[in-house]
Amino acid sequence: MLVNEVINDTDCVVTVRGAVVVLGERPVLYGADLTVPAGQVVALLGPNGSGKSTLVRAAIGLIPLAAGQVRLFGTPLARFRDWGRVGYVPQRSTAASGVPATVREVVASGRLARRRPFWPATARDRAAVDEAIELVGLGDRAEESVANLSGGQQQRVLIARAAATEPDLLVLDEPNAGVDMPSQEAFARALRTFVASGRSVLVVLHEMGPLEQLIDRAVVLSSGQVVHDGPLPVPAGVAGDWQHHHAESPRAAQEGLFG
Amino acid sequence: MSLLDYDFMQRALIAALLTGLAAPAVGTYLVQRRLALMGDGIGHVALTGVAVGLLTGWAPVWTAIVVATAGAITIEAVRARGKASADVALAMLFYGGIAGGVLLTGLAGDTAANLYAYLFGSITTVSNGDLLVIGALAIAVLVLGIGLQPQLFAVCQDEEYARASGVPVRLYNILIAVMAAVTVTVAMRTVGLLLVSALMVVPVATADQLTRGFKATFLLALGLGVVPSLSGVVFAYYVDVAPGASIVVIALLGFGLAWPLGAMINRRRRRRANGEDPRLAGRHVTAEEHPHQHGEECGHPAVEHDDHTDYLHDGHLHAAHGPHYDEH
Repeated sequence: MLVNEVINDTDCVVTVRGAVVVLGERPVLYGADLTVPAGQVVALLGPNGSGKSTLVRAAIGLIPLAAGQVRLFGTPLARFRDWGRVGYVPQRSTAASGVPATVREVVASGRLARRRPFWPATARDRAAVDEAIELVGLGDRAEESVANLSGGQQQRVLIARAAATEPDLLVLDEPNAGVDMPSQEAFARALRTFVASGRSVLVVLHEMGPLEQLIDRAVVLSSGQVVHDGPLPVPAGVAGDWQHHHAESPRAAQEGLFG
Repeated sequence: MSLLDYDFMQRALIAALLTGLAAPAVGTYLVQRRLALMGDGIGHVALTGVAVGLLTGWAPVWTAIVVATAGAITIEAVRARGKASADVALAMLFYGGIAGGVLLTGLAGDTAANLYAYLFGSITTVSNGDLLVIGALAIAVLVLGIGLQPQLFAVCQDEEYARASGVPVRLYNILIAVMAAVTVTVAMRTVGLLLVSALMVVPVATADQLTRGFKATFLLALGLGVVPSLSGVVFAYYVDVAPGASIVVIALLGFGLAWPLGAMINRRRRRRANGEDPRLAGRHVTAEEHPHQHGEECGHPAVEHDDHTDYLHDGHLHAAHGPHYDEH
């Protein structure tokens, strides 16, 4: 609540106000607020089922809101068209589908927001795809079928796909879930490169892993409400502990209720 | 007299060529999104369309297109809602398609035997008018399937991601359904409505054994659709069988040959070293020739990395290491 008041909406890449989401009969979010100021790395934390994924998916228009509002780059979601500025990495274990596809083909599909139907890819499009593949350290596997890669490497393909659009905002949903250590390192490295150029990141995390030092602000969700919005709740290293700590903290819970 | 001297045979071969190209072009997208049986469903529904033509005296090609398109859009709408009962709803649509076809044919005073030519194809029944319609539709399907490949690939690969990229996903889903319906109608004179789905799926499954990428699979599938289509029609000329049967058997033989070959290729590919990026394995990678010192004034953005500072330089992170820079 406090943080939200200080930051002006127009400087924010993502602004979510009072988001209420109902999936089926079940309410998942009760009036959640979320802001990502330009240039910040914001981590969205919370126990399983607290609504983290729902909140980021609602923020980029994949799930409709029952109440509340969303702005991306200052534009109300309903009028937002500049999807090339947003790179989304869904929570998924595989990048494969029913027909084989190479790493380059999957990454190139991330470039669509910047391309027109029936027009061939430009040199700029191809360069962006090459850079994105290089960014996640898969340069020498670009022509391989994604189905032949490890789970962690496939997750990196999805990160490269989001990077191919040259976004100003990366939205990542548990990019490290079930991912081997080399891939986590590759991802942290890619994210450092991305953040160094002053762009913004919204990342849903279950464990901090190697990302911890990059995070500027943490938003903690519990049962569909924001219970913490500020610096990382617990000092380095003890990933997982913050869940406990904050769910039981009365002050944090109060902030969430009125935030 | 050569078989090419017969007008009906020329028309049948042109129709087979167009079918052999169009069916795998749509089929690749259907297989990619794991909807391999959609062509089957549309074929069943199209049968009612043919029967409407027989009953009313209108050209069955047109009535089949209208009914098949309506059926395909219905299937797509049921799929998109994603309810658990969707497969039962689809099954009922398929039964209704077959039963309606046979029933309406009976009412038209025709016997179900007349449907045989539509169910399994017939090389002697492709008229000049049919050929014009088939040609225009098949070319439209190919132009859309190739020209919109990046969009259709994205929608079939990961629908949610495509939506997050601002791609009009629903429009493309309907487009794929309509392309499938049109292809079924194009194919009904050669492979027939009951076997058309095989020509959408088998060439793709065969290509898939031998390729690593989508574009390669797509192109190879077009070739693997044309060869059985043409040879199946020729076979049906010499041996009096429905061309649909010979086309599909030849396509399946191709799959039977490709399978062991593909398994061998894949084993060899997997055996190749599973290399990792050396920067991640903690190995020492020095940056290329470096004309200046990174610092507060060099203009390259700095980012903290554990106990030191990296500088972002042309998309690479550089860290000072003695007299040179390392890639981080």
